[in-house]
Amino acid sequence: MYQTLLTTRYLTSRVIPLIAVAAVALCVALVIVVVSVMTGFLDMVQSAGRTLMGDVIISYGISGLPHYEELQVKLEEDPNILAATPIVDGWGLLRMPYPDSKAKQSETVQVWGIVPESFAKVTDFSDSLQWNVPTDNQRDWLLLDAVTNNANALQLLMSDDAWNTFVEIINAASSTLNFAKANLWNDVKDFVTTEQWDTILSFDERLTEPEKLRKQGLELSRNGKDGIICGLHVSDGNERQRDGSYSVIRNDFWWLPRFDGTLTMLPVDAQGGIIEPESIIMPFVNEFQSGVFLIDESRIFVPISIAQSLLHLDEAEIIDIDNPTVVLGVDPARATSILIRGIPGISAVELREIASVIYDDFRENMPTDTLVFPPSRSDPGLSINTWEEQQRSFTGPVEKERELMRTLFSIVYLVVAALILSIFWSIVFEKTRDIGILRSIGASRAGIVWIFLQYSLVIGIVGSLLGLLLGWGITKNINAIHESMGNPPLAIAIGSFIIATAVAVYTVIKGRSGKMLPIVIGSIGLVTFAGIGALILFIRHIGGLVIWDASVYYFAVIPNNIDWASAIVTVCGAVIFCALGALIPSAKAADTDPVKALRHE
Amino acid sequence: MNKTPILEGINLKKTYHLARLAVPVLHGASIQVQQGSWTTILGSSGSGKSTLLHLLGGLDRPDKDGGDVLFNGDSVWNRSNRQINRYRNNDIGFVFQFYHLLPELSIFENTLLPTMLLHSRNSKKDNKSRAKLLLEQFGLGHRLAHKPQELSGGERQRAAIARALVNEPDVLLADEPTGNLDEKTGCEILDVLSQLHTNGLTVVMVTHNEEIAHRGDAVVRLQSGNIIDGASATLAQATQ
Repeated sequence: MYQTLLTTRYLTSRVIPLIAVAAVALCVALVIVVVSVMTGFLDMVQSAGRTLMGDVIISYGISGLPHYEELQVKLEEDPNILAATPIVDGWGLLRMPYPDSKAKQSETVQVWGIVPESFAKVTDFSDSLQWNVPTDNQRDWLLLDAVTNNANALQLLMSDDAWNTFVEIINAASSTLNFAKANLWNDVKDFVTTEQWDTILSFDERLTEPEKLRKQGLELSRNGKDGIICGLHVSDGNERQRDGSYSVIRNDFWWLPRFDGTLTMLPVDAQGGIIEPESIIMPFVNEFQSGVFLIDESRIFVPISIAQSLLHLDEAEIIDIDNPTVVLGVDPARATSILIRGIPGISAVELREIASVIYDDFRENMPTDTLVFPPSRSDPGLSINTWEEQQRSFTGPVEKERELMRTLFSIVYLVVAALILSIFWSIVFEKTRDIGILRSIGASRAGIVWIFLQYSLVIGIVGSLLGLLLGWGITKNINAIHESMGNPPLAIAIGSFIIATAVAVYTVIKGRSGKMLPIVIGSIGLVTFAGIGALILFIRHIGGLVIWDASVYYFAVIPNNIDWASAIVTVCGAVIFCALGALIPSAKAADTDPVKALRHE
Repeated sequence: MNKTPILEGINLKKTYHLARLAVPVLHGASIQVQQGSWTTILGSSGSGKSTLLHLLGGLDRPDKDGGDVLFNGDSVWNRSNRQINRYRNNDIGFVFQFYHLLPELSIFENTLLPTMLLHSRNSKKDNKSRAKLLLEQFGLGHRLAHKPQELSGGERQRAAIARALVNEPDVLLADEPTGNLDEKTGCEILDVLSQLHTNGLTVVMVTHNEEIAHRGDAVVRLQSGNIIDGASATLAQATQ
């Protein structure tokens, strides 16, 4: 009971326990924040992959799976499978339609031929679409496009005078629209007759029905023409804003859904040789954002039939080589993969086993007159994988990176532990004389150690819980903090300069007495606050810092979920190190002869 | 018939080790302290008088084969750690030159502290009233809640004496109790000790001051770790 009395007094009558608590709290918060961000990062990589490719993937390299539609039906009949969708996967070149002639260029793209309806059931395709309805500005661009592309038809509807004035309106608007809002919609609407207005609107469905923009994306077609959906970072025209949203450069001039693109792919024949490249021009109907930068900068979606025909994976006749006029049968269209999503609650591994059984069953029960069989399970080209296995090449490096960070962080842990140890060492060392007094009036060694164990446990527990709170607060708000680092508020700079001035005044007044402490502390404060202010002004001057660059870290936002498992380990570790830091020196002091301890100064 | 001394040091030897240098401090000092006596150990600085007191009080261990301390005829240094703690706590009261009060505790708490260290034979309430009574007796009744650093040297030493007495020890060991005080305050402290002795407490006091030494009823002179005079005198006096 005297231990509790002394522990309480040691804790409350001095400043050093507060410093120790602060040190422990900061160390714990630091570790929690970094480990949580790294763990969240890996989780995001994995879950993003899952939402983009379903739970299980059956794939058969370049030559593709025949009879995939029957297989899809068979798979969807299973009660454990929510949906399945075929894709044709290949690489191609996409010639971009950038409106500035010098910026025309081709992008290497990963083309996924998809069936939009079933693809949306397996993946988060519909949620990932970027454009829902055109903004007023985008609508003006669509209107301008509609008018200029159909000028001849419109001219016929107007008198010469009216036409000249109309052209002036359009020209004025088109030069304004490059950099500012032009109010073209109302100008044209006010000028033309109702009949002419209706004619103009009929040129583009998106003018009368804004929601068509999203619908065309979901259907992958516009006005009956097959369309392309691009990842958001395929186009150079999309710029990330500070708040994480995207806007199109040149006041939407480069907005992709206005244009057509040319897609070229290289088909491969049955022997693996390359055939003449095939091209097709298609309109861009929408853009998507998965959140994974690597995917958003290279993937495009087209209807599966387009990809099949570009890669020669579409249906073809099989002819007799000896007698080319004789048609032996039909080589069915192929899909390179089938993506499968399970019902909620089923694991990817269970689903893989189910899919494997269905596949074997499907292959064995093909009609006897089938000419082209799907590959057997022993074919090395065929794989049935979970989403995790499928993207190992992608998550593998990230996992390694996390291990590396863990290793580096265990060094940080050691530094933190050494810091905590040394703080307690000095606290206990300073109390050696007290220990001598207590020993000389009969306190036992264990009793002495218990005082400092209690003391360190209080500091350790309070400090690490505060650290947990701090770490939680920082992690939860890490995106806001990053945001304000990118654009630090001017008020903080002004505040810092005011504090710096106050500190300078204090230093001068106190410093006249010649005492060193106020001069030293004042100078440190002055340099610190003036430095903070100057740094903020500098950051503002260079346009802000972006520490988390989406193009490097795959994601547009920083993960902000606490990794509770490692947070709890960290908290416990900190408490243990506090206890060790106090136990070792206090045991040593308790073992010292009382007389020696009493002589300690 | 020879009465058993309450405290007895037999052929005590103590060597300190400073780095690789062995510094012998006591060369086999023997001393007997009779119940109810006031024994003064007199010696110059470095003569080993404080070391002798520390060995007697159980604060420092004699060398191996360096003699023993007997308390009521029982060996002190053959006891277990636990029993030595109890000896320091219960049988002996120690007063230091530099008071050695805990700065974080009030005077009252400092005085009460020995009763809290080990299982006390008295109730908590009795201990508290005894601590309070002692402090009042020493003129510190109005200072109970003060911290040691708020008190004068004399007041601190009186509080230290109160702490030494709170567990009703059989012997009070005082190591230069006036060494850190001015003459007047020192006299007051000696008056306190004198009063306690008159009331029957056995006192052993260490000092280098000849004048103070004669307050006691027996003087043991120590020079360079050897007792040169007095140990037998004490014995003689006690046997008379």
